[in-house]
Amino acid sequence: MSTTTDVKEKTGFFGNWEAWQTSFLDEGFTNLRRMAALPLLAEKMERVRKGVTPREIVYEEDRLKLYRYIGQGEKKHKTPLCFVFALVNRPYIFDLKEGRSVLAHFVNAGFDTYLVDWGTPTRAERYLTTDDYVNGYLHNVINFLRERTGEPQVSLLGYCMGGTLSTIYTALHQERVRNLILLAAGIDFATRDGLINLWTDPRYFDVDKFVDTMGNIPADFLQNAFLMLKPIANLIEKPINLLENLHKEEFVEDYLYMETWLNDNIPVPGEVYREFAKYLFQQNLLTRNRLPVGRHTVDLRKITCPLLNLMAKNDDLVPCAQTEPLNDLVSSTDKEKIIWPAGHIGLAVSGKAQKELWPRATEWLAKRSQ
Amino acid sequence: MDDRMSETLEQAAAFQKLWLDSFGGVAKVWSQYSTDGPPPDEMRKARNGMLKALAGAWDEFMRTPQFMEMMKVSLNGALDLRRMARDGMNKIHEGFETPTKEDLDSILLAIRHIERRVLDRLEGMDDRVRKITERLEKPDERGGKPDGVGAAGAGELDERIRQIERRIGKIDGGIGKLGERIEELINRPPVASVSSEGAPGKRKASIK
Repeated sequence: MSTTTDVKEKTGFFGNWEAWQTSFLDEGFTNLRRMAALPLLAEKMERVRKGVTPREIVYEEDRLKLYRYIGQGEKKHKTPLCFVFALVNRPYIFDLKEGRSVLAHFVNAGFDTYLVDWGTPTRAERYLTTDDYVNGYLHNVINFLRERTGEPQVSLLGYCMGGTLSTIYTALHQERVRNLILLAAGIDFATRDGLINLWTDPRYFDVDKFVDTMGNIPADFLQNAFLMLKPIANLIEKPINLLENLHKEEFVEDYLYMETWLNDNIPVPGEVYREFAKYLFQQNLLTRNRLPVGRHTVDLRKITCPLLNLMAKNDDLVPCAQTEPLNDLVSSTDKEKIIWPAGHIGLAVSGKAQKELWPRATEWLAKRSQ
Repeated sequence: MDDRMSETLEQAAAFQKLWLDSFGGVAKVWSQYSTDGPPPDEMRKARNGMLKALAGAWDEFMRTPQFMEMMKVSLNGALDLRRMARDGMNKIHEGFETPTKEDLDSILLAIRHIERRVLDRLEGMDDRVRKITERLEKPDERGGKPDGVGAAGAGELDERIRQIERRIGKIDGGIGKLGERIEELINRPPVASVSSEGAPGKRKASIK
């Protein structure tokens, strides 16, 4: 039996020649399997669905659509649950694919579950403000749900920018919100952990000039900004990983579903972008209880409902430091935070989050719903 | 040496540091390459290490004031270029007497202002109606007046609420007409290829 030293002595710099030859053969065969899988990629891409749980449209307003998700089991909780996503991407990340659906956890647990799809804004929507989204559209949705279900309050679940919008809504209309669940919601923008926070520094970014020139913020611009947060991982590592795992059915399927969603960006209305960049990223007015939304000023201390604040440890878009302070800024006595070992998207759809985090969140909500 | 020159040199130094850090990190990882383990595993380990070193160097670079200054200059340049192109297009449109993007934007903005004013007034009326309703629901707090007087007051308030509702109806009709006129204005040929569908102020909800 030869030891490592023997191997080195026998073979020099390249190590064990026998092992090299075996691995070359193995890699050769695997490469053939990868090549064979390549022509099927386009076909698999066509099979990608945008949302898997059965649903129906129950309310429409301008471009907004409110979906109700149809569960197979009986309804166990009267309090409706409304999912609110960001204005940047499409909301089907909540229902990405079978086994990776956040919505399905709540639907299967017997919640009357709804999802707000803001739609794709056109140039006609460039002057819509945060006030229009919060006190206009979202308020109308909540009022509609109250009428439809007969329940005086609704539970809100907001993700990313949708989490910020849900927090603002709850602070302004606390009497209508029973529970608030947030996923990676930007609240305290004073942190310099995230690159976006640095790049929007008023010394380097003239938001007024940008919005006045562009109108709505193009989807491509946002997509490129997100890619640049991790250029090596997104532009080099990710394609290599795909090539290496091209012959693995499940990997490719997950990859295609995720990439379809990641590249499905939509423009952001110019005025909303201006307000977010200026009032939140540059002036951090939300934590100071001075954020103006239409005729109102948002005071986080007015939030008194139970709060579950979920954040991702490795989030490069909304770092924990941006989310965590909320629990100290609200008046709720029933509040909990969970820092999950995942990235911004993994918090919702990773296998571990699906197995452990979401059953836990569902249980949390069940205890606090009628 | 003027400020511009020193700024350029600082940017060049930051860029140089990025490449030095990148190559230094890659070389360090490669020097740790071992022939002990199975070759594919060792190669993967080396590759991951190298990509990690590159990612670290780039992340550090993208946080430097020099990078952000470069980003600012290139973004402002792109925006200026876009504005220049738009100004040129506007002149052409003016020559042909066709509406420009700015004309459409100013119409949209005007609609927004009208909508905002109407919504503010409606919200004000809503607040007043709510206060009236609250007062009606708490008769004891109105100075303990006899029931008959309370009922007469309630009747009066009902009439006021009806008046307010009629005014809201009129305003709503006015908005509808205004929207139709604006749509006519936008759709009147010759027109730029912009859809007027879903213009703000035309908010209609449908319940299914």
